[in-house]
Order: sequence, then C-alpha cells, then structure tokens
Amino acid sequence: MLDGEYGYALETAMSVLVKLGDMYGADKMIEIDNVHVDASTYAGIHEAGLHFCKTLAKENARFRVPTTLCISAIDFSLWRQLRVPSKFAKKQRELAEAYARMGATPTWTCAPYQYGSGIRFGQDIAWAESNAIAFANSVVGARTNRYPDLVDICAALAGKVPRFGLYLKENRHGQVLLSADAIETGHLTCTDYGTLGYCIGAAVGQKIPVIKGLSPRPSVDHLKSLAAAAATSGSVALFHIIGVTPEARNSAEAFGNSAIEEKMSVGDEELQRAAMQLSTVEEGQADFVVLGCPHYSVEQIGEVAALLEGSRIRKNVEVWVFTSRMASMLARRKGYVKTIEAAGGKVLCDTCALHLPLGAWSFQTMATDSAKMAHYAPAIIGIDVVFANTAECLNYATKRQERVRSQYCKKK
Amino acid sequence: MAGKAKGEAIVATRSISFWGGIDPKTGRIIDKRSGSFGKNISGKVFVFPYGKGSSTSSAVFLEAVRCNKAPAAIVNAHTEPLLTVGAILAMKLYGKSIPVVDHVETDPCEVIANHDLVEVDADRGILMVTRARRGKK
Repeated sequence: MLDGEYGYALETAMSVLVKLGDMYGADKMIEIDNVHVDASTYAGIHEAGLHFCKTLAKENARFRVPTTLCISAIDFSLWRQLRVPSKFAKKQRELAEAYARMGATPTWTCAPYQYGSGIRFGQDIAWAESNAIAFANSVVGARTNRYPDLVDICAALAGKVPRFGLYLKENRHGQVLLSADAIETGHLTCTDYGTLGYCIGAAVGQKIPVIKGLSPRPSVDHLKSLAAAAATSGSVALFHIIGVTPEARNSAEAFGNSAIEEKMSVGDEELQRAAMQLSTVEEGQADFVVLGCPHYSVEQIGEVAALLEGSRIRKNVEVWVFTSRMASMLARRKGYVKTIEAAGGKVLCDTCALHLPLGAWSFQTMATDSAKMAHYAPAIIGIDVVFANTAECLNYATKRQERVRSQYCKKK
Repeated sequence: MAGKAKGEAIVATRSISFWGGIDPKTGRIIDKRSGSFGKNISGKVFVFPYGKGSSTSSAVFLEAVRCNKAPAAIVNAHTEPLLTVGAILAMKLYGKSIPVVDHVETDPCEVIANHDLVEVDADRGILMVTRARRGKK
C-alpha cells in the first residue's frame, strides 16, 4: 500500500499512518472496523482540507470501513433561513459531495454513538472529535486513540492504523482515583454532569481518571455531557466510572492491579468554581440560547418541548436546538419539534453553533446548558456566555423570569 | 519531518493550538495567552514548547501552507502528531517542505530568542542558532 501500487490516495494515507506509528513506537498496523471523521466541516478544515478531500475523491479513493461524518458547517436544509452566505454553503456542499463519493455515511453528527454508528465493546476503531472519542472508549469500551483531522480520513482509506496507545489493554488502566462521594448525584442534570466533567478534565489533564461515587447510575445523556466536558478542559480520551462503564466493574478492574498514581476528590465547591469559570457574565439577558452540544438525543429534545409547551419565546431571543437528522426525525414523529417550533424555537440538524457562520445575526450574549459550548464560544464566536441549566435557559427565554443566571450546583 | 530551512526565530514560551491560535490566512498569532499575540509566524522558524488542543489544528496548519503563510520550520520541545501530519500533507499536496524538529538536547524556548537566525537541518539532526547580536552558539 505504501509503495503506491494501490494509487495516490492509499499511498498518501499509508505514509501519514506509518509516520504516525513511527513517532509513537507502534509495533505493527492493525485492522479497524469503523471510522468517525471530524474533518467534516468547511469552517474547520478550510480550503486546504476541501482540496485534499476533492483530490482524493477525484482519484476514486474509497473508504474501506464504515465511516460516519461529524458535523457540517451548515444545516443542509435550513441554511438560507439561518442567513448563511451561499458561497460558504456551496463549499460545504462540495465537501459533502467528495465524502459521498468516497462512501461516507452522511450522519453529520458529533454524537454518532447515539444515532448512526454501530460500535461494540473491544472493537478497534479510529475516531476523531474529542467528545466522541471519550464516549467510544469509556462508555462503549471500543478502542481508539485521539486522531487529528485528516488522519481520520487516512485511517478510513487504509482501514488500518498503527497499534499504540489505547489499542493496548495495558494502556487503558486508570491512573487517578477521583471520588465524587461528596456530591449528591441523585438530582444532577446533564448540565451538572458537564460541570463535573469540566472539573475532572482540568484535574487530570492527559491521565485516565477512575471516578467513584456516581450513583444512581448516570444516563447515556449524562455520560455524553461528562465526556464532552472532560475532553474540553483536559485531553481526556478515556475515563472509567466504577460500576457504570464496561472496563470498571470494580476498582481492581479499572486500575488493572497497577498502582493508583494520585487520589483526588470533587465536591460542591469544585463544581461551583468550574461553573463560574464557564460563564463570562454571571447573569444577564441573552439573545441567543444554544442547546444541544453535543447533539441532543430524542429524550433531550422532548425535555425542551415539555419546557416550551404552551409558551412563547421572547421576540428578541433565538432558541436553537442542535441535533442529528436522525434524532430530529424521531422527535418530529413524537410531536416535539412541532411544539418547539410553535413556541418560536428552531430545531437544527447537521451542524454546530461554533461552525455555522453567525455574522448576519450580531448576537451579543449566549445562554447555553453545555460546558463545552460555554468554553469555546467566547473565543470562537466572540460572544459573552451564561452557562446555565436547560430549564433556567428556557424559563428566561419564555419570560417566566427576567434574566438568566449562571449555574451553581445544588448543595447537599 | 525531514528537510532544511533557515529563518528568523519567533519564540512562543507557552503551548499553542493552531485552531483558535493562528490565523491561517495571515500567519498571525491570535491566541492572547500564547505570550506572542500579534506576531507573525509566516516564513519564520516558529519555536514553541508543544502543540495542544483541538484536533482541527492539523487542518489549520495545512491551510496556512496553502496560503503561503506557514512557518519555514517548526522547533518544539515535543511535537504533537497534529503538526507532523500537517507537514507530511504539505509535502504531498503542495510540494512544500517544512521541517519539524523536536527532542532537542536543551529546551529550545530557552536557548533560542526572538530574532535569532535559526538554521534547521532535520535530515542530519542539526540546529544552528546565530544570535541576533551576540555571535554563534
């Protein structure tokens, strides 16, 4: 493959993968079963990335394994309504066309593990997008390293990756024991789990945390929030939760008999501090409410519908719910989308507020229930942020309260 | 990444993410916490401890190459695969060689100062620094 006998695309892909393997001392290449490509948004990969994809497609390159796509820079149906310049939309559509020719599945979601990807425990995969990597490794127990954009494409073309890092069982054991015993976890919302994840990522950096004391058992949506936030404040690619995640049925399994390097605890004080860091203004009158980072599940869209039922969103406030096309279709069938739209909100598919061109909207202040969104939005969009629970955001948006206040975790 | 290059040094003493840290269209450093905000890396030998953050950095690096705004070479204490990948593809797609060197004996951010002339020969593993004022090292 490396010598070009399979053509330009495979030769390029293999040269990148072999070089990567050399850097990390990989012993061999291994077959992978699945790829999630993060290089899917024109706003992220720019003209050079588009050129790369178009060149590959022109060379008749084909993905060798099932490959899903992360978010797009536009909602492919509603981009005009979202005031996206048509020149920009055209670029994203060209990228979509190149991926279609290579055989990717057009999932356009950052949460492919909920709708779109079938991956199982113990499988070797190559995923990009930090929240998806953390979820696949930790919650599913599939195995992937953290892949940069464009390497994800190379892995899909080759169907192979160098074996190092998290593909090896001995590198998947926990390093830091993190006790959440002091937190009353029974009433935590997804937003609270995001705050918790943000604390954990900041505390452990690149190490593998083992969390104890999360009971009753968190839902998939809770774990999605936690994974996304931990991979935002740290480079967490894998975490274990004792009694919850599949490689941590008990402490011995999580640490694999290797010594615990460090012990920490997270309490209400740490959660409060993290929540404060995530807001640039403590309370205010947001004009842009962003929900669905990572993409909301059907159940989360249902929660929004219940909070908006029979209400009307303020005239000068936009409420945008980001999700995958698959979840949106199911939510529509359940009547949730209709309820949200009747209140004046939008349910958007395929995309992300950090990648959509928002220039035409002149938003000043965002309210969001996502720790990851709250972390990135000030730098990327250039906007103030109030980080708050979903209900707080929507109570404000529907005039049940005058201002939106930033989130503090409930005291015991 | 192999290759030879020569240029004036730009030293950032903190880790940097190309995504949200460098504007690929101009080569300007836009990360206010990098310690080098506002400087331009285009055509320079860019010295910084290590790359961090977003996986999109590899694509931003490649875009800087396409726009002719990439550094002439990169010198790191530890290089992340993000940048190596960008450099490999720069050669493949645009025929441009941008040497990326790391594991230098001493911390490059301490040894090299802004405006020093740096010659990188990644093929032979040689890094030559000519002081902006004080002669050779």
